[in-house]
Amino acid sequence: MPHDEYRAAPLGGTFSRETLVSLLLFAIVWELLSYSAPALGIPAFAIPGLLRIGQSLLTITPLDVGVTLARVVGALILSFVLGVLLATFMYRSDKLERYAFPMIRLLMAVPVVSWILFAVLWFRGAEFRIAFVLVAVCGPVFLVDALDAMRGVPLELRRMIRSFRPTAPQYFIKLIFPAILPNLITSWKINLSLAIRVVTIAELVGAVTGIGHQLAVAQELFSVADVFAWTLVLVALLFLLEAALRRAEKRLLRWRP
Amino acid sequence: MAPMKDPPPIAVRALRKVFRQTTSGQSVVAIDALDLDIAPREVVAIVGQTGCGKSTLFDLMIGLEAPTAGSIVIGGKTPYGDFDDFRGQIATVFQQDRLLPWRSAIDNVKLPLELIGLAESAQRERSLAWLERLGLASFTGAYPHELSGGMRQRVAIARAFAVEPRILLADEAFGHLDEVTAAELRETFLALARECGSTAILITHQLEEAIGVGDRIIVLGRSAKLLADIHVERWPAGEYAMLREAIQATLQANERDARLVR
Repeated sequence: MPHDEYRAAPLGGTFSRETLVSLLLFAIVWELLSYSAPALGIPAFAIPGLLRIGQSLLTITPLDVGVTLARVVGALILSFVLGVLLATFMYRSDKLERYAFPMIRLLMAVPVVSWILFAVLWFRGAEFRIAFVLVAVCGPVFLVDALDAMRGVPLELRRMIRSFRPTAPQYFIKLIFPAILPNLITSWKINLSLAIRVVTIAELVGAVTGIGHQLAVAQELFSVADVFAWTLVLVALLFLLEAALRRAEKRLLRWRP
Repeated sequence: MAPMKDPPPIAVRALRKVFRQTTSGQSVVAIDALDLDIAPREVVAIVGQTGCGKSTLFDLMIGLEAPTAGSIVIGGKTPYGDFDDFRGQIATVFQQDRLLPWRSAIDNVKLPLELIGLAESAQRERSLAWLERLGLASFTGAYPHELSGGMRQRVAIARAFAVEPRILLADEAFGHLDEVTAAELRETFLALARECGSTAILITHQLEEAIGVGDRIIVLGRSAKLLADIHVERWPAGEYAMLREAIQATLQANERDARLVR
């Protein structure tokens, strides 16, 4: 489909006219819903107006945003390192893969809520609990994606580089890791949105800082506008992180036609 | 170009390679009882029909596969058993260019030099020199997808020569290119191989190519059975057409016999 080559990606990095119109339309529909909520039998506080949400946004504490951001980025980096490291060992050893893979599949099937409960029951310290949950959820995704990608590196390229007799580290550094980079970036994209959602739930349950904790406070105070404001911040944070990732992707994969 | 040590002789003795098919479990004899000697600096063309075991022989010679029985000995060492000892000694050009798509032309040429641990400045200098020799001085920063098929194969040839190997192996390296480009690259490859003093082994299914490049033509039948070992210089220069016909007749007769046995 040659036409597709000229079609801009719908989630492109810049704010196109279409994006702005779409967001504006959403805001108008929201405001109309807010005005007509009582007429629809919905309590007025349940759908706060944009002005009220704007006032709540002014009360956002940057420290909580920073803490959540640090937790997400830190846990993702740790998950990435552990996932890729284990994938590398499994790629090198069929035996290890045969024994470890069923275990990984089992861990991937455990729901996030169960991980949070395990973390609360097993560990003390909010930071450790949150990191544990995030790594338990995101680590296996990195591992499985990396292992699949390693297995998918074309045989022709593997034989070519082997004919030059690289050492084991050279084989990975010169061929395998650069070859799987596009897949790793895709894993980062998937895990980023996953981690943002998981960290919020984890902070709701077991933290005294962070966006999740602030959402819990807003819910206790019955302040729907604050819930909306913190949710907006969370969405904006995800968009920002995705934009940074797209920038890195563009730079790292500049060789792609 | 640095003066090169004499390449070692290659001795193939009672070589046998059997593959077991994954699905049927049946054994396939790719090479059976092959004996062969290749002298230092010789340019040898190995010719045979598709499926005769040429590429298996190529894999065994570069040490990517272990023989089932028999041996390949290069200068007293085996390319599979003493794998690391041949680092920087053997270089290959494959049927497809097999360039790394994320590396520019110069970085692709640098790859084997990085693997042998050459200093960064020397890597760059030597890669540039080889790209220049192959007429790609203006394309050093181009990625493989920005180059034509012929240009990509030139980069692959530069990559093979960059390590100044003592043995060069090419597996159907020009077969996928158009005739003009293939002939041009073949000539370049041979001229460089002779200039470097490397032993060069070209595997091909094209008789014209085999006759055109080799000091010696080794004709293989099914299971790499040695059908003929021809020293081209002993053949009268004006009678290459007859040589071609003779090789073709040998291959056809072998194929007929193989069919009768089956």
